[in-house]
Amino acid sequence: MNLPDDFAFTQGSLQDAADCPRRFELRYIKRLRYPAVEAAPALQFERRTRQGARFHKLVQQHLLGLPAETLARSLHDDPELADWWETFRKTGLAGLPEGRQAEIALQTHLGGRRLIAKYDLLALDAGGEAVIVDWKTWRRVPAQHYLESRLQTILYRYVLAKAGAHLYGGPIPPQKIRMVYCFVATGGERVSIDYSAAQLRADEDYLLNMIAEIDDAEQFPLTEDEARCRFCTYRSLCERGDAGLVDLLDEDEFEEEDFVLDFDQIAEIEF
Amino acid sequence: MQIPLTPEQSAIAAAAPNKKIWLEGIAGSGKTSAGVGRLLHLLELGIPAESILIYVPQRSLAQPYLQALQQHSGYSGGQVAVQTIGGLSLQMVEAFWFLIAERAGFGHPYDLPNFLSLESVQYFMTKVIEPLVNQRDYFNSVRIDRARLYSQIVDNMNKAAVVGFPIDEIAPRLKGALPGGVEQGHIYDDAQTCASAFRTYCLANNLLDFSLQLEVFLDQVWNLPQARAQVRMQYRHLIADNIEEDNPASHRILADLLRLCQSALVIYDSDAGFRRFLGADPENARRLQGFCDRQEQFADSKVMSDDARALGRALAGQLGAAFVAGLGGIAEDDPQPVLIREAHRYHPQMIDWAAGRIDELVNRQGVSPREIVVMAPFMSDALRFALVEGLTARDIRARSHRPSRALRDEPAARALLTFARLAHPGWHMTPAEFDVAFAVMTAIDGLDLIRAKLLTEMLYRGGRMLPFSDVKSEAMQDRITYDLGARYDHLQTWLNKYIEGAPTEALDIFFRQLFGEVLSRPGFGFYDNSDAGNVSMNLVDSARNFRWSLEFMRRYEEGTDLGRDYLEMVDRGVIADFYLRDWIADNDDCVLIAPAYTFLLSNRAVDYQFWLNVGSEGWARRLYQPLTHPHVLSLGWLAGRIWTDDDEATMNRQTLGRLILALARRCRKEIYLGYSELSESGYEQRGLLLEAIHGLMRRSVADNINGEAHV
Repeated sequence: MNLPDDFAFTQGSLQDAADCPRRFELRYIKRLRYPAVEAAPALQFERRTRQGARFHKLVQQHLLGLPAETLARSLHDDPELADWWETFRKTGLAGLPEGRQAEIALQTHLGGRRLIAKYDLLALDAGGEAVIVDWKTWRRVPAQHYLESRLQTILYRYVLAKAGAHLYGGPIPPQKIRMVYCFVATGGERVSIDYSAAQLRADEDYLLNMIAEIDDAEQFPLTEDEARCRFCTYRSLCERGDAGLVDLLDEDEFEEEDFVLDFDQIAEIEF
Repeated sequence: MQIPLTPEQSAIAAAAPNKKIWLEGIAGSGKTSAGVGRLLHLLELGIPAESILIYVPQRSLAQPYLQALQQHSGYSGGQVAVQTIGGLSLQMVEAFWFLIAERAGFGHPYDLPNFLSLESVQYFMTKVIEPLVNQRDYFNSVRIDRARLYSQIVDNMNKAAVVGFPIDEIAPRLKGALPGGVEQGHIYDDAQTCASAFRTYCLANNLLDFSLQLEVFLDQVWNLPQARAQVRMQYRHLIADNIEEDNPASHRILADLLRLCQSALVIYDSDAGFRRFLGADPENARRLQGFCDRQEQFADSKVMSDDARALGRALAGQLGAAFVAGLGGIAEDDPQPVLIREAHRYHPQMIDWAAGRIDELVNRQGVSPREIVVMAPFMSDALRFALVEGLTARDIRARSHRPSRALRDEPAARALLTFARLAHPGWHMTPAEFDVAFAVMTAIDGLDLIRAKLLTEMLYRGGRMLPFSDVKSEAMQDRITYDLGARYDHLQTWLNKYIEGAPTEALDIFFRQLFGEVLSRPGFGFYDNSDAGNVSMNLVDSARNFRWSLEFMRRYEEGTDLGRDYLEMVDRGVIADFYLRDWIADNDDCVLIAPAYTFLLSNRAVDYQFWLNVGSEGWARRLYQPLTHPHVLSLGWLAGRIWTDDDEATMNRQTLGRLILALARRCRKEIYLGYSELSESGYEQRGLLLEAIHGLMRRSVADNINGEAHV
């Protein structure tokens, strides 16, 4: 067993394992922290990730009951973000089931390991649709098949099917689950991905196999695709060149959550 | 693996999910295990995990709950929430900010709030009040450094917030209770002026230090219907642990949560309350008993040996700690078997003795290092270093934990900070030659300090590093070696290119670039070096957090140089932020070296404890804090009372009594007492703990004294 007992797989760790086993080993098994720049220019990259995080916070505040107009007034310092917000106001929640849970995490177990999915929004109607909504602030909308193959898609649908019964009022039939990527920076375009019992079985096999491979691996080889190293902070350790340019970044390589400081840990010792 | 519960623990765990239970008992009596059992039982009943709130005074205290959840392999569903007053208040103020900012008096209610870390608080405090201090000659009779003075002003504001009195009552309270003459009165007035000026500045600029964050949370957010609805909807089941270590503000929130929730388990540790200096108020915590409909008590320790129990009682009784009277059995118990003690003339002898004893335990008796803790009232660098060296020489792993250890003391951080000075000549902060030598040595793998000093003597000129080719002597080039010289050149070239380019004022970015492009490459000191990676990451986090706070301010006032200001802060000894990951790493099989209170707040027991410097007054006496006072600024303080020397002496004895009892309750086998006549600084030591030990020894029967020299 390569992983500690308390290890939990998330979309980030699974994607790391899929992209580069060596990166997975360094980050999650050796827990080696390597603060190199992810992408250049670093400040431009930082601005993008902070914008994304702020957008997610706005949605969360709105779903807590803050009026959209009030929130819009706070965006005077960032016209681009204001545009995204306007897009969200017009189309963000349209057509979604009324039972809504923002920023909620679910977990289940598979192959002796925990799987955790942290959702931007779950919109469910008992007996009706169960929609996973994920806000994306990417500048490009990827192809449907690319999104279908992402580990986020695989994990989020699977975990909801296995762990979301209490939100739905009973087990959720896989065919009722749908994942919607909502691209607010490109006019609110949506990519919707359905689910099925057959897909659930296939995903379960895939995840089981992946977990077993990680747990039993004797070696964690470095990816042969050097393009995957451009935005990896371990590239100096692996002698794989310098930071890639922000403009070449496939934005899904970094989720906003990777960048948010855990203020809770800091705040509790202020006094 | 979950330990089977006793019948009394099971009864708590399996109580109906509409019961509100008060559970009280001494440390080690199994209260938290019952709480963990309760959590798992609620989940087994099908209660959604996200409706369960674990509320603790600091996040590390929630670890047993989180670990139990991680090991609960059959569970699928949501995630339990873990909150502290700091975390809850921050999240809720941030979430509802735009509804309350205007009425709370902030100057820019449609701009974001700027939550300050301790570092940023110190920075802004310095910026706001230093001109006042200099112009008006404030605190001229106080002989402690400015950073410590300012931290006491922050402390006063935080105490006002957690206790619930306006900040303009700080000076009247202190003056009324601590009559120290006209001069002392001026000091309190000065502290009040500074606190008020800082608060005004924060309100005008959307800055929230912990005190203002808490005030806004309690006075504004907590009264919002939307916030109440959110809490009522989300948290239906409450488990609050170690409430005696929490402050009155937390107790107020808990009282409301107890009214709103469906079930609760409130856990209170008797004879504790060690975070008083952080506002803990165990007496006030007792009020929460009235919100519970069932009272339970666990009387017996499941951890400490009878001998440790005897020692705790005897020593605390020796100190005349009032609460010990209720424990019973002082006279009959013999504390001798659990004690091993040795006196030395000099401090290093004591350290060597401790290391030798640990060697005996680990390498001869097979004791696991994680079952040993070495404590002192304060953990100085010298003591820490000597202990780690002594243990390492005996092939024993050790780790030390000091929550407020400054980042700048870590070699990797020192090197990065020195290179930052070199790379920004415009800041006019040229580093000293020795610092450059140290940085070069740390940066280049295989370079020792002697050759690093030779290199800097030859190549560090006028604040710049010259290329290796400028070493003219072949003998010297050979001595340094061309291989190391090439690496030096790589570093030197990178720095010079950086200087010639457009240096960034984002110091965190500079650190990351230098780390990624040079220091973490093969042949350099940070390559595959997890300690250096961790320290560098902490430094990056610290510098970035600082930059974000200051960038935010540029919309309101003229900008300063962010990078230079950060370095100045570091020079002034501002402490680094504290990160939970230090505690998470505690699973390693290492001897723990820590201040006594730090060990207590890790909430675990060990087989063997070493108490060093038992002669030190630091075991009983609180820190010298001329601008603040934990008791006078507490909720229970009665207006009009005077704090006397007798009060101080009584408090010291009570505090030490509680500490000893608490340590003994966290010891399963033996306690080793280390004493040296002369302290680390060469002074004779005659503290209260030593006095109590002497008293205990005098009372003991001579036959019981086995073998070793006596304290």
